[in-house]
Amino acid sequence: MLSSIFGSLFTTRFLATVIRLSTPILFAAVASFIAASTGMVNIAIESIMTFGALAGILGSYLTGNAWAGLLIGLVVGILTALLIALFSMRLGASPILIGIALNTFADSLAIFFLYQIAGEKGTSASLPTKTLPVVNIPGIQNIPVLGQLLSGQYVLTYICWIVLILLFIMIYKTPLGMRMRACGLNANAARTAGINVEKLQIFSLVLSGMFAALGGMYLSLNYLRIFSKGMVAGQGWMGIAANGIANGNYGVLLLSALIFSAFRAVSIVFSSSTIFPVDLVAAIPYFAVFCFVTIASIIRYYRVKAGKVEEQ
Amino acid sequence: MTEKKAKSVNLSITNPRVFEVIKMVISILIAFAITFVILCLISKNPVNALVTILTGPLTKKRYIGSVIESFIPYAFSGLAAGVLFKSGAFNLGGEGIFIISGISVAAVACNALTTSHMLHPVLCILAAALTGCILMIIPSFLKAKFGTNEMVVSLMLNSIYSGVAMFITRKYLLTNTTSTIGTKDYLATAKIGYIYEPLRISPCLLLLIAATIIMYLVMFKSRLGYQIRLAGTNPKFAEYSGISAFKLAIVTAMIAGTLCGIGASCQLLTQTSFYQPDKSLVGIGFSGMLLSMLGRNNPIGIVVAAFLIKYLEQGTSVLYFVDRAIPSEIVAIVEGIVILLISSQYFLRGFREKKLLKEGLEKDAK
Amino acid sequence: MIGDTILKLDKVTKVYPNGTVANRDINMEFEKGEIHSIVGENGAGKSTLMKMIFGIESPSSGTITYKGQEVHFQSSLDAIKAGIGMVHQHFMLINSFSIVDNIILGDEPTSGAFIDRKEATRITQEVSDKYNFELDVTAKVSSLSVAKKQKVEILKTLYRNAELIILDEPTSVLTPQETEKLFVQLRQFKEQGHTILFISHKLEEVKAISDRISVIRNGVSKGTYRNEELTMEQLTNLIIGRDLESDLEQFKTHEDFNNEKAMIVNDLYMERNGKPALNKISFAVKKGEILGIAGVEGNGQLDLIRCITGLEKTAYTGKITICGKDTTGMNIKGRRDLGMAYIPEDRMGDGIAGPLPISDNMISTYYTRDDVNKGMFMDNKAIDRISDELIETFAVKAENNKVSIDSLSGGNIQKVVVAREYNTHPKFMIAEQPTHGIDIGSAEFVHHKLIELRNEGVGILLVSADLNEVMDLSDRIIVLFDGEIAGYFPNARTVTDQQLGMYMLGASHQTEEEIGGALND
Repeated sequence: MLSSIFGSLFTTRFLATVIRLSTPILFAAVASFIAASTGMVNIAIESIMTFGALAGILGSYLTGNAWAGLLIGLVVGILTALLIALFSMRLGASPILIGIALNTFADSLAIFFLYQIAGEKGTSASLPTKTLPVVNIPGIQNIPVLGQLLSGQYVLTYICWIVLILLFIMIYKTPLGMRMRACGLNANAARTAGINVEKLQIFSLVLSGMFAALGGMYLSLNYLRIFSKGMVAGQGWMGIAANGIANGNYGVLLLSALIFSAFRAVSIVFSSSTIFPVDLVAAIPYFAVFCFVTIASIIRYYRVKAGKVEEQ
Repeated sequence: MTEKKAKSVNLSITNPRVFEVIKMVISILIAFAITFVILCLISKNPVNALVTILTGPLTKKRYIGSVIESFIPYAFSGLAAGVLFKSGAFNLGGEGIFIISGISVAAVACNALTTSHMLHPVLCILAAALTGCILMIIPSFLKAKFGTNEMVVSLMLNSIYSGVAMFITRKYLLTNTTSTIGTKDYLATAKIGYIYEPLRISPCLLLLIAATIIMYLVMFKSRLGYQIRLAGTNPKFAEYSGISAFKLAIVTAMIAGTLCGIGASCQLLTQTSFYQPDKSLVGIGFSGMLLSMLGRNNPIGIVVAAFLIKYLEQGTSVLYFVDRAIPSEIVAIVEGIVILLISSQYFLRGFREKKLLKEGLEKDAK
Repeated sequence: MIGDTILKLDKVTKVYPNGTVANRDINMEFEKGEIHSIVGENGAGKSTLMKMIFGIESPSSGTITYKGQEVHFQSSLDAIKAGIGMVHQHFMLINSFSIVDNIILGDEPTSGAFIDRKEATRITQEVSDKYNFELDVTAKVSSLSVAKKQKVEILKTLYRNAELIILDEPTSVLTPQETEKLFVQLRQFKEQGHTILFISHKLEEVKAISDRISVIRNGVSKGTYRNEELTMEQLTNLIIGRDLESDLEQFKTHEDFNNEKAMIVNDLYMERNGKPALNKISFAVKKGEILGIAGVEGNGQLDLIRCITGLEKTAYTGKITICGKDTTGMNIKGRRDLGMAYIPEDRMGDGIAGPLPISDNMISTYYTRDDVNKGMFMDNKAIDRISDELIETFAVKAENNKVSIDSLSGGNIQKVVVAREYNTHPKFMIAEQPTHGIDIGSAEFVHHKLIELRNEGVGILLVSADLNEVMDLSDRIIVLFDGEIAGYFPNARTVTDQQLGMYMLGASHQTEEEIGGALND
């Protein structure tokens, strides 16, 4: 039994599961990354994912169209980001405190709105909602192995991949990206070069909100097809952790997000058997993130001590 | 010797203390105004709704008793978060610590370690306090020693402790009911009874008052509190002044963890008869962080905030009998708005600056 | 041609929201093709004036006319577009970017939606070569020397076709020799038709380079003069209205402290990124003396101080002794307990907790002492009393000891820092850039206090980028270059700034025997 479980980790099906699970974490990771690129801190990603997820599904219910729901979710993500921008940049509140506050009552707020519209406090299951489709790519789907991975994914997964590529190009190849990075590395230098630092910072927060909302909507509109309390389950934080480990390196960012997704997949595979205690198995991904973050920081600590890197 | 100028009390908005109070009052008013607007949208009788929320709990003894009983664990959670935030730490592990401390409480409460009514609860509290004290150190230690992101680490631990708590319950402490995962019933000797039953006042309230006084003295009169204030305001300066950031991080974590453990015990031993890891203590840790923000990291402010929030929640609960449209979550909205506004340094700063500018120019002209 | 007015300021005034009047009714005219210096002491209002010319700030009232048109710059971008460039005192460079990227930032050559890197490199190299900068534009800025970084700053303005170039205290980071090179460059710019605005508080340089000089004092203009019309004394009087008191020597007593050493550094060695940041440094600070460390910023001073104070995290070898005790492995608290005090360079970052009251800040480095404690708790009354006494002794301008310290002016904040360190009753004091960015009155006060401590037997290690300060205060001087002691001068009275400059640049280097005197004298 044990060997068959471990065996199943090396199948294409497992990889396909990892890909399916990676989308929200990748969205969260780039949400954290893009905000950090201009020097902003967005701790509220988990809450924006929740809000986006709820807004998406409720929007779909109210308009009868899943794509309209997607749009509404994006708007909610943008508005939340603007709220953070307003309070942290104009009104001088600490963005970390705002983030913690938002995360902490995200669930309450979501339940409040859910209750108003669906009369329920737990899930949106009672609402008939249109959801987003799975996409099968005709040519690719027949390729062995790769076909299973590249075709037949949820549409938001493909959107995620497109976002990852476009974001890379924007940040490293366009003037806008260079200016944003300048804001994050030395805001004063950017300012004297004539760049409107504040505007770019708000822009990066808006993008961050959009990506986070997309991550949430993947869960509610595509993957699970409902909204339920606590559905984000720490994936926003995993994205933030990935950005912390990456420290500006785009490749490491994506890799970390994928590794965390892999652990979630492992957790799911293990929980299907009775050998491992179900509660501990559920804790695997969190334990994995904990280990990776801790080890990464210990490595950084010793490298600074040896004089290999500049202290941040 | 300089002659001391007569100390007159400056009541205008330029006095920083007065300014803080004004900010708080205006924030609360704005929050209630917005809440009222929401009430108008969702309720048929918004005025009645607001009045009930504000005065409902006072209509029956058991309502206010419920507030008194239930706010205590939240106050402990808030005190814990307050110490951490004041020292500049962002250790968000309160939630997980509550849940895992609950296991310690259940473990001691379900076993006949002593037959004394006095001693048994004390042992439970000690077990929980010890658990919290030790486990809360982990994120703070990693941050102090290696610079690890304590937010991520503490939150991951929360989920890990949840899983561990469920696991231990399932394996070792399980009760016979099949509908929920919970421990066996506590022994009668472990439960904490009331000193004054009509208002549900238990020894836990006295425990809270003692804890609050101690925390107040520590924060504002002791060397430790001075170190915490310095480190929380400017960690580089604290380091420069020779304050050991490491020691401080560990000590504050231990204090916070202990408070969480005590809070968990109070909740379980007064309000439940067995422990459900996925229900009994969920949310108290996180709420504590919000309460700390409301109370501006001041022990007395935090406890008052805890009482007021629980009071309002009870108000919505009273209202629920009359008007089903208003869930208790509306209190979270009030909390949220107040927190956002009072955390904003520049909120109302415009008014204050104009006044300061006027005073400055007047002085200049003399 | 020279003589046409390119920039005119008419009754320009700037009042900040907190009520500070930075500039009041400034009238000034700048001619095309001239090198025009603006002089004044720290805090006189020069920076604010330049910020308004460059568009970073807007005047509260008054007009600015550029090339005959009234201008209202909303941002530095507007000023840049109009042809005004600024070389800032503190470099506005992004260290991890290449020179090219730093220069094109904000005005990038594009091909479609993308940055045209090839074109960018070509243009940048072209401009660099045209002005003989000798730069490899593909290099990362972090790898450049300070003087080269300044060249990049200047290059930025030329890339944007600046006709009017403002240089804000450009020589504060240069050695005397590098300053000469800069002046040659500036004269070349002048020949090519550029107008130079040169901001400085260093009068010898101003007299050397300027065509005309304008003086600002307390936010007000004290007039514009042709260089030839003004003597050094007249210039000085315009700036501060009295003779610069520069001979502090008269306040020094000469007691005998038996050549005892307050602090000894032995063979200090530290590596960073594979090369030595501190290379076998040995010297001693005696009791009752001021040992000055001269050197261009970035030659190891920061690392040295961090090692001595115990704040350095990177590993190093060598022995540091404070008051006779070996401090290996000791953190800053241990060293303070041995009698070390420290006035940090980063006053706002390391030296104070801004939002907290003066009283909290006043005792932070000795809060465990008996005189501020009463048993288990802190003695708030005693803290009050001590704070008030120190505020008076140090002439700190504050309403009371409860106001937050960041509401005070820079000079007053520094006085609180000095008061605090003074009140630790130290045996060894480190003073790092102790008068940087503060008004002249406060600076003088700090200097006098340092000499007072010296007279009482405290050993003082002075690190300053201000060569005058080092030469005025020190008894002995060492020069740091590239992480090593390049020169040691047992008598600060007999060395000139030209000599020191040679060592600061690395053009001279003493023998090991001569340098050994730093430790063994």
